[in-house]
Amino acid sequence: MKRALRAVFGLVLALLMTACGTGSSPPAGESPPPAAQEAAEPLDYRGDATLRILSGSENRELEDILNTFSRETGVRIEMTYQGSLDIMRALQGETVDYDAVWPASSLWLTAGDTRYRVKHAASISVTPVVFGIRQSLAEELGFVGREVSVSDLLSAIRAGELRFCMTSATQSNSGCSAYIGFLYALLGNPDVITSEDLQDPALAGQITALLSGVDRSSGSSDWLKDLFLTGGYDAMVNYECLIISANQELEAQGQETLYAVYPYDGLSLADSPLGYVDGGDPEKEEAFLALQSYLLSDPVQNEIQRTGRRTGYEGVSPENEDVFRADWGIQPQRVLSPIRMPSTDVLMECLDLYQTEFRKPSLTVYCLDYSGSMLGEGRSQMVEAMGQILIQENAAANLLQASENEVNLLIPFSGAPRAVYTAQGSGAELEALYTRAEAEEAIGGTDIYAAAQEGLRQLAAYDLAQYTPAIILLTDGVSDGSLSDFQAAYEALGADIPVFSIMFGDADPTQLETLAELTHARVFDGREDLIGAFRSVKGYN
Amino acid sequence: MGNKPRLIGLLILLLVIGAGAAYLFLGGGEAPAAAVSLRGYVGGEKIGLLEDPEVQDILEARYGLTLDYARAGSLDMVTADQTGRDFLFPSSQTALEYYQQLYGPPAKSEIIFNTPIVLYTHQPILEALQTRGLVTERDGCRYMDMAGLVAEIEAGTTWADLGLPELYGTVAVSTTDPVRSNSGNMFAGLLANVLCGGVADEASVEAVLPRLQAIFERLGYMEASSSDLFDQFLKTGMGAKPIIAAYENQLLEFAAEHPEDWQQLRDDIVLIYPTPTVWSSHIYIALDEAGEAGVDALLDEEVQRLAWERHGFRTAVSGTENGAERFGVPHLASEITQAAAMPSYDTMEKIIAALS
Repeated sequence: MKRALRAVFGLVLALLMTACGTGSSPPAGESPPPAAQEAAEPLDYRGDATLRILSGSENRELEDILNTFSRETGVRIEMTYQGSLDIMRALQGETVDYDAVWPASSLWLTAGDTRYRVKHAASISVTPVVFGIRQSLAEELGFVGREVSVSDLLSAIRAGELRFCMTSATQSNSGCSAYIGFLYALLGNPDVITSEDLQDPALAGQITALLSGVDRSSGSSDWLKDLFLTGGYDAMVNYECLIISANQELEAQGQETLYAVYPYDGLSLADSPLGYVDGGDPEKEEAFLALQSYLLSDPVQNEIQRTGRRTGYEGVSPENEDVFRADWGIQPQRVLSPIRMPSTDVLMECLDLYQTEFRKPSLTVYCLDYSGSMLGEGRSQMVEAMGQILIQENAAANLLQASENEVNLLIPFSGAPRAVYTAQGSGAELEALYTRAEAEEAIGGTDIYAAAQEGLRQLAAYDLAQYTPAIILLTDGVSDGSLSDFQAAYEALGADIPVFSIMFGDADPTQLETLAELTHARVFDGREDLIGAFRSVKGYN
Repeated sequence: MGNKPRLIGLLILLLVIGAGAAYLFLGGGEAPAAAVSLRGYVGGEKIGLLEDPEVQDILEARYGLTLDYARAGSLDMVTADQTGRDFLFPSSQTALEYYQQLYGPPAKSEIIFNTPIVLYTHQPILEALQTRGLVTERDGCRYMDMAGLVAEIEAGTTWADLGLPELYGTVAVSTTDPVRSNSGNMFAGLLANVLCGGVADEASVEAVLPRLQAIFERLGYMEASSSDLFDQFLKTGMGAKPIIAAYENQLLEFAAEHPEDWQQLRDDIVLIYPTPTVWSSHIYIALDEAGEAGVDALLDEEVQRLAWERHGFRTAVSGTENGAERFGVPHLASEITQAAAMPSYDTMEKIIAALS
């Protein structure tokens, strides 16, 4: 009894302090640097208890709110951002390294919690997955001010009038939701997708054609929004709340905003459940319950609603309609009537097919640093990481398998690119690529620019519209060579090819950030967990 | 506006809080009790009751007991590792029958309270169902013609056919996964009864299994826990889960625990009784001698009163002067008159096998 009361008491105190503004700790930290791939900076205050939360990237936008809670209760919160599918797999593991999980949808919680360790799960907010289309294009396509079906979107995509960005269906909930919505529409809107439906050969052709309209893929919904803001794209599939926040930034930049389209026969909802992973520590449980009650308290629910998420039982309050703007196509009063998600078995089948057959094939150049400093541990970790991706049995465990039409190139480099090895498809050539990676010696200097430039030269030989191209660059040291030569080659090619890099050892983050900025990519931090970083970057294409 | 009254108010508030803190953190008041701790498995829908401080106090003060539990599904707990456990507290008779089949009669077992399986929906949907003649009102309560509803589901009637074009897809009742969770399991039993035109038995159920499979297959993904299903029903609005099957006590407990939220919701959320419904019987199964003490404790008059008044479980007190009005839940039945028996354990086993 005391325990429960104490939690309530702590909460009341926290709310009071918010109300009175007596928080004495330093101001909330800014959002973490883009270089941080997984863990955000911990919100560290007095450190009475620590909650390690594994969360979908869309919750990055709630960090200020979590920060306030930390400041006022002394509960330290460590957020780790992963895709919903990774969260599902983390829950399925023998042990769970987190105190709480916060995936985008309860679907992943239910599918993951096969050992019944999650307690006190409750939805914090709700947001639908929608299409955000440049206002003028949406008008041109006739999508403004009327009900739009998935088929309407598909016709525009087929006609080449609409190209869009989405997250990978096998890594992120928003991409998965959109993909399932497409499947429903292509199957003629059955009540629910069955295993037999997926065998339909006509479906394979149609969905493949549809996914070929994907401009860019991403492993995370939040980064997809950031990518979109770099400019040059027409539309993205994302959460309503992230379309809202993208629009706020676009408007601030004086740029054209997105119009939200809610496909009435392919809508899905993200209900954002926050659940406690019971590790038998009553103090953590108490801290968790305090956090959850805080997030569900009226004032905080309103604050969360101000970020474009739907909260509470009564829908969006009239005062917040300045956030849910009608001129952006946002429909706060719309009855959200989603499709029925298939059962977990069928869903997994859908995802396997996406990864191995339906998605636009990826065309990936791995530029791997075999300079002298990689000798020993560095080299062996890098080779192991490549084994997680190239050896298909390993890749399947994380839904990262190669597809039949994809192409993978390996450019081992040190002071200069050493060779180019190419593997077509998902079979023997791919495993042979791994043997190549294993055979290279670590010796010599470092020039990432020359290696990446060789990558570009190789890519120029392909019809890039047929692929999702990317260069994945791993390096552990400060690079020699010339950025400007690379930049000239990049601009001459004139294609949207991201150069993702994985930072390792003593790599220079500014060199890598510059490359990422130039190519609309991002830097992944492999210093803590190289294999995890490889897996994440692979989820982006 | 002057600041003074506000400041004084704040000071008083801080004093009250200080006193509260002293009481809680310095440990004044409570006498140390050497309570016996019983360990067991409990269905999730009863956690609100077992965490109720007043219930805990009664168990401790009058019976010298504390109940230490892990949450588990009603059928799962029967097969779970019972080493060091003193009791099981599942949500159905089926679980007891399952237990008896595996291990023979338990040390002791007793129904502690009951709650019927009901349907929850929203006002506009209720109106459409009434127009369709599927829901009728008698003695102030709403009753669903289950045979009629099943016919609509099997015919693939859309919400638009019922005059609700804003809802996508066909008419369905969302439930928890019948293989994992008790409320979905009981709803499957209820539907089997409806399809058989009487309580389904091992012989009659065979013929309806394909139809039952078809109904559940069309639901696709199902929640694993009845509390998660109910939470989503309330929060995702009318479109996501138009009708759900759940326990009657869930709404009563919500209304009692969150009266302000309930005030916002009561014009929209609708309670409908299926005809016929089935009872979910919450049975306490003592696994050993120590565990037997739990029976008397949970049947304590005060505990039984709290189980009804605060958590909505029907007990001996629920039909009395402490009637249904106390919850402020409109159209709540004072008595459940139209309940059928659940199919036997062997029949349910066939149903579960078919739905697995």
